[in-house]
Amino acid sequence: MAEHFVAPPDWLWYILFYFFLAGLSGGSYTIATLLRLRGAPEDAPLSRLGYYAAWPPLLICPILLILDLGTPLRFWHMIWNLTPGDAGLNFKYWSPMSLGVWALIVYSGIATVSFAETLARDGKLRMGLTDWLVRVMDGLLGKVFAVVGMVFALFIAGYTGVLLAVSNQPVWSDTWALGGLFLASGLSGSAALLMFLTRYRPEARASFGMLAVSERLYALLEGALIVVFVLTLLWAGTQGLVFGFPWLLLWIVVLAGLLPGLRGLVVHRLSPTGEAVVAPVAVPLLVLAGVLALRGAIIFSIQV
Amino acid sequence: MTNHWRDIRHADMILINGANPAEAHPVGFQWLMKAKTERGAKIIHCDPRYTRTSAVSDTHLRVRTGTDVAYFGGLINHVLSNDLQHDEYVRWATNAAFVVKEGYSFDAGMFNGYDEATGTYDPSQWAYELDGDRARLDIDHPRSVLNLLKRHYSRYTPEMVSRITGIPVEQFRQVAAQVGEMGRPDKVMTIVYAVGLTHHTTGVQLIRSGAILQLLLGNMGRPGGGMNAERGHANIQGNTDHAISWDILPGYLRIPAPGQQNLDDYVEQSASKQLHDNALNFFGTNYRAFMVSLLKSWYGDNATKDNEFAFDHIPKPASNASWITIFDQALRGKMEGLILSGMTATSIGPDSNQVMQALGKLKWLCVMDPFSTTSSEFWKAPGANPRDIQTEVFLLPCTHWIEKDGSFVNSGRWSQWKDAVLPPEGEARHDHWILAELFARVKAQYESQGGRHPDPIRQLTLPYRDPRKPTLDELAKEINGTDLRNGKRLESFADLKDDGSTTAGDWIYSGSYPEAGNFAKRRAGIQDPKRNDPTGMGFYHNWGWSWPLNRRVLYNRASADEQGKPWDPKRPGIFWDGAKWIGDVPDYPADAKPGDDAPLPFIMTGEGVARIFSNGVADGPFPEHYEPVESPVRNPLHPDVSTTPAAHLYDEKAGRPNRFGTAADFPYVATSYRLTEHEHYVTQHVSHLVQLQPEAFVEVPEQLAKEKGIASGDHVRVSSKRGKLEVRAVVTKRLGPLTVDGKQVYQIGIPIHWGFVGINTGQHWLANALTPFVGDASARTPEFKAFLVNIEKM
Amino acid sequence: MPEITPGKAYGFFTDTSVCIGCKACEVACKTWNLLEGHEPSFLDGFDNTGGLDAENWRHVQFHDNVPDQTLGSGQGSVWLMMSDVCKHCQQASCMEVCPTGAIIRTEFDSVFIQPDVCNGCRDCIAACPYDVIGANETTGVVQKCTLCYDRLQGDMMPACAQACPTESIQFGEVDVLRESAQKRVDALHAAGVSKARLYGADDSIYGGLNAFFLLMDEPSAYRLPNERNAVLPSRNNIPGYLGALVTGVLGVLGGLIAIRRRGQSPEPAEATAGGAPDGTAGAADTPDAEAREKADG
Ligand SMILES: Nc1nc2c(c(=O)[nH]1)N[C@H]1C(S)=C(S)[C@@H](COP(=O)(O)OP(=O)(O)OC[C@H]3O[C@@H](n4cnc5c(=O)[nH]c(N)nc54)[C@H](O)[C@@H]3O)O[C@H]1N2
Ligand SMILES: Nc1nc2c(c(=O)[nH]1)N[C@H]1C(S)=C(S)[C@@H](COP(=O)(O)OP(=O)(O)OC[C@H]3O[C@@H](n4cnc5c(=O)[nH]c(N)nc54)[C@H](O)[C@@H]3O)O[C@H]1N2
Ligand code: SF4
Ligand code: SF4
Ligand code: SF4
Ligand code: SF4
Ligand code: SF4
Ligand SMILES: [Mo]
Repeated sequence: MAEHFVAPPDWLWYILFYFFLAGLSGGSYTIATLLRLRGAPEDAPLSRLGYYAAWPPLLICPILLILDLGTPLRFWHMIWNLTPGDAGLNFKYWSPMSLGVWALIVYSGIATVSFAETLARDGKLRMGLTDWLVRVMDGLLGKVFAVVGMVFALFIAGYTGVLLAVSNQPVWSDTWALGGLFLASGLSGSAALLMFLTRYRPEARASFGMLAVSERLYALLEGALIVVFVLTLLWAGTQGLVFGFPWLLLWIVVLAGLLPGLRGLVVHRLSPTGEAVVAPVAVPLLVLAGVLALRGAIIFSIQV
Repeated sequence: MTNHWRDIRHADMILINGANPAEAHPVGFQWLMKAKTERGAKIIHCDPRYTRTSAVSDTHLRVRTGTDVAYFGGLINHVLSNDLQHDEYVRWATNAAFVVKEGYSFDAGMFNGYDEATGTYDPSQWAYELDGDRARLDIDHPRSVLNLLKRHYSRYTPEMVSRITGIPVEQFRQVAAQVGEMGRPDKVMTIVYAVGLTHHTTGVQLIRSGAILQLLLGNMGRPGGGMNAERGHANIQGNTDHAISWDILPGYLRIPAPGQQNLDDYVEQSASKQLHDNALNFFGTNYRAFMVSLLKSWYGDNATKDNEFAFDHIPKPASNASWITIFDQALRGKMEGLILSGMTATSIGPDSNQVMQALGKLKWLCVMDPFSTTSSEFWKAPGANPRDIQTEVFLLPCTHWIEKDGSFVNSGRWSQWKDAVLPPEGEARHDHWILAELFARVKAQYESQGGRHPDPIRQLTLPYRDPRKPTLDELAKEINGTDLRNGKRLESFADLKDDGSTTAGDWIYSGSYPEAGNFAKRRAGIQDPKRNDPTGMGFYHNWGWSWPLNRRVLYNRASADEQGKPWDPKRPGIFWDGAKWIGDVPDYPADAKPGDDAPLPFIMTGEGVARIFSNGVADGPFPEHYEPVESPVRNPLHPDVSTTPAAHLYDEKAGRPNRFGTAADFPYVATSYRLTEHEHYVTQHVSHLVQLQPEAFVEVPEQLAKEKGIASGDHVRVSSKRGKLEVRAVVTKRLGPLTVDGKQVYQIGIPIHWGFVGINTGQHWLANALTPFVGDASARTPEFKAFLVNIEKM
Repeated sequence: MPEITPGKAYGFFTDTSVCIGCKACEVACKTWNLLEGHEPSFLDGFDNTGGLDAENWRHVQFHDNVPDQTLGSGQGSVWLMMSDVCKHCQQASCMEVCPTGAIIRTEFDSVFIQPDVCNGCRDCIAACPYDVIGANETTGVVQKCTLCYDRLQGDMMPACAQACPTESIQFGEVDVLRESAQKRVDALHAAGVSKARLYGADDSIYGGLNAFFLLMDEPSAYRLPNERNAVLPSRNNIPGYLGALVTGVLGVLGGLIAIRRRGQSPEPAEATAGGAPDGTAGAADTPDAEAREKADG
């Protein structure tokens, strides 16, 4: 039985939404990149949609992170160490928060480039450099760039779970599954998000089947990781904290969010469905609610 | 204290009764802890509650409040009936062998000499049998003190102790066995006590019973021994020395009594007489010199041989002016005005509601204090209607002691000078300046308008540079006293004269400020133990100064045997090196050679020895267990004389309605006490301390709480016949049920620190709303520590 | 008190067997460090401070286990009192996670949070296994015991140790303290107090605590993790990232599978009540050709 006597860090609403948005951004970027690299030509619109979707959360994420700080104006202390006699860049690979900050910076840059590139491709951004950018991105460099971007995207979606685990908090530090869990749920949420967005981007509906299958697989992955999560907590003996009332209600939402994917898996196996149709609203929203609830249950249950 | 704080570390055993030093004297407590950690001393804490002191003691005895005479009586009985007393000591250094005068009796709870009409004893009937003017000694005589003592305490069997105190018989036996060991010369035990013993109608007897035990065990005068009162406020010892009590003048000289026409009468009736050829009777012999020097100090040139040194100017009060009496007089409408300085009557007195009534009967009330107090604000206390109160209230802002210099005298009688730490705030003035100013103005009125008896005022001398602003340094010099023939300050009270050639504001402080300087300022301490404490016994004679004459352990002649050899060579107090006494400042003539003709060890008494049997007490020559005035049981020893017949029942005497409750209405015993986090009421102004203890509460035994459905944190109403509190409950096993005389008795604990003034003003309940308006037979100290209440969940 | 010399390791030996719960240490710490404390609130009567945080760098715990019969139950073993403080861990969890470098080890081997470097991310709070650190509500930075860094620099012992009347808090060089602690625990064992034990005096807990304790009961009775539970946050770094890595790989694989599967003929869309087509369904075949070309290129 793991016994903890720690205080909660009071990472609450800002952090919840940061985790949520980081998961969606990272997931969307990943899906977009996969489609770009391995998809058929008709997957391009969805890929572009994915790059679009990956970007706005990144405008909000730093704001959430900064606002959560006790002294927001000192955000830059994450990057620059001010210790007298020891001043210099802060890069502490053993601290997920330090690593995360750097990853977020790099990833923001990458996602912004991808975003600009996508705008350019869509003809919505015409500046001197845009053509050049598109050209470069079409080459090998572009592929490498996209892969690197995807790695950062996956990192951003997943490290938040590791950040929680690298602590001495009950539940969080009693499992090693959180990084994976957050990542899987970010991917599943992103698939759902993109499904939802195809409503407004008809040309992307061609890839709907891919999203539907991804959703099923990610739901499966997330479900499996939830099982791992539960098992690790049972081992530590701290399951009661996160699966007690009222958090059970959130877990019901989490499971409800897995349902469409799992049901699809049972009913349709891996056959793509729903291409060329307008996605229903309820299903992706339910999945997204599950993504939020998962983070909510894990963040709040041990802090309040 | 007969000994001093640092000395406690020499003890092999420490009995703590009626004190909670870990909470009330945490700094002094380090010496108890040192005794434990460094020499393995055993600490036995006897207290109704399991306190922070009990937590680090070896043994806790849960005792019913107000019954320690039975506990000590049981120990005395154990010692005597098993012959465990330190026989040589008892025979040589106590009055065990003195024969008591015919007529002494003790029967069914009554000593001889009681006057039903006045409700008082005549202690002069408890006297020795005399051969001429010397007492008769015969330890085998049936009326020898020792034999009377044995007879008196033979009733205090372990079973009886248990019936009265609630301490299980087996536990009592275990403790008695350990205490009995302490009569061996190589062992020494100390008794530590405080107001858990004094705040009872039997307060003085409670303390005496401990002292008797210590005398039997041969522990008085020895390092690591003694009967040690842990005093109250940082300077309460100084207060007492300088006559804060109504019955004494500075230096424990008696206040003159009506009918004393002159100094001869006064000395004759006040000073002890020599009762043994080898008794020095130092106090008795010098009484006149001390008194004359005091009068010279007060009246200067106006005190002459011809006018009996102005003896006539000293009041000879026919009645007492004890704390309760003052408010009793006010209640009777016999007082016009009252000045309260550094004391908040409303909070601290017994029966606060009645005290507030008393304040409301005054024409004026003047409060001298750095803060507003419940007394300065009594007219707007919760429930009071300011319209109905006509008393005019003045609040004179005073400096706090932290804003003045001056001395503190600690429990060990060590006077230590301190500096002002903070500058005075606002218009605050020093107390002594306010009083000097007041005096100057009253004197001016007497001079301009005359008056019925102006001389005591007009002739008083204030020989200060600025009589309206005396300095404490000037006062300290005045207290020390001067040889008027050469103008030099005295080095010892041995130099005081009864011919008017010396002054002494307080003879016991003579020698504290000689020409060499203010000894209270000396600081040769643990920086250099080798030099500053050559005996290694922790006397540190060049640190501060202790009365008398810088002696650290009182009666220290008794620390060595008749030949001058320390009872325990490892813990010498003083010893005879062949030419003089070495060690502590000897409580004995420094060159008095041991031997048959040597003076007896207790040089201050007329007997030359310590008194096991004494007529200095108002309610009996031997301590006897009496029940508190409010008690759940009748006295198992003598049910018909359950409480002390000499207690002062003020309401009854004044014809006011009875304010005592009975167990039928108020079934639980309560006691009141301090918490470490607060200093009475004043710290309600200190935010860090209010945070530590924000709210009033009572401690409730777990079993009782279960019966009443009370949980920790609940609000409960605790009421006595006199008032109520509505405060939180803290439920705990630290208080538990007791079996007393076959009955189950619960005790409830009531911390005292809250009132309607301070930071957390919501906490306005006064613990003293509950306590009875009744005083100890001798000292008239209120019975704060034992009363009956009821408790209900709100 | 010998001189306090930079370069040596200093700390506390807190002997709970002689703690009398007087809280002088709490008040001394607040007074010296100008901590205001919180609004007064009643908690349980004896402990109304509650715990360590930004305003309380010392906190005296009370645990009332007093039995019915109290005769032989003293010795500091049934009403437990323990003055809690930052442990100045050799392997400090707080230091491990801090992203800004605000937490440093000083020349006295204490763990110090630089208030001007900290930005209030509170990761250290999540990490400290002893519930020591708290965030200051006004300044936003986190605070805890500094081992009176300023006093040590001025050759003065920490305020709390100076105030402690019973020497329950002993300040000094860690090596010296360890010796006297061993003596004390041996003496207690010899006196039959078998439950007495040292906590953090050797390197079994976080490589050794510079502020270590003599306890009269199990560590957990004082809200201290035992040897098994005293673990560092970084233990989860590798497994955490590995888990994420595996998930990432599976996620990428999943995506690729989905892309693959998409090549197959689609089944008809599920008809879901909530998601009725909005009439633009027919536009599915209108992705603009130019974009598609580019994506394929
Ligand atoms: N923190 C703090 N310290 C103080 C003070 C303060 O207000 N706060 N006040 C100072 C002053 S003025 C004084 S006089 C001293 C008083 O010092 P103490 O006398 O030690 O203080 P109290 O808490 O009043 O009472 C001591 C104990 O007596 C117990 N008791 C009550 N009745 C009996 C009894 O009949 N028999 C026995 N054996 N025990 C009994 C109580 O349960 C309590 O634990 O403290 C001084 N020190
Ligand atoms: N029920 C119950 N009642 C009790 C007790 C109990 O145990 N139980 N204990 C009793 C005992 S032992 C005592 S000593 C009393 C304590 O009663 P008090 O002595 O009245 O209590 P304090 O709150 O210490 O009050 C001292 C006042 O002195 C003021 N003061 C401080 N310094 C100075 C100064 O230099 N000059 C002047 N003029 N004022 C100053 C403070 O502001 C404060 O208002 O309570 C008694 N009452
Ligand atoms: S408050 Fe002052 S007098 Fe009382 S214990 Fe503390 S230091 Fe001593
Ligand atoms: S006790 Fe907590 S705050 Fe102190 S050094 Fe250890 S981990 Fe850091
Ligand atoms: S709150 Fe300050 S000290 Fe703590 S981890 Fe963040 S930056 Fe470091
Ligand atoms: S060492 Fe200083 S900062 Fe730390 S608890 Fe003690 S007094 Fe407070
Ligand atoms: S000052 Fe010492 S005895 Fe008092 S509570 Fe703190 S550690 Fe315990
Ligand atoms: Mo007192």
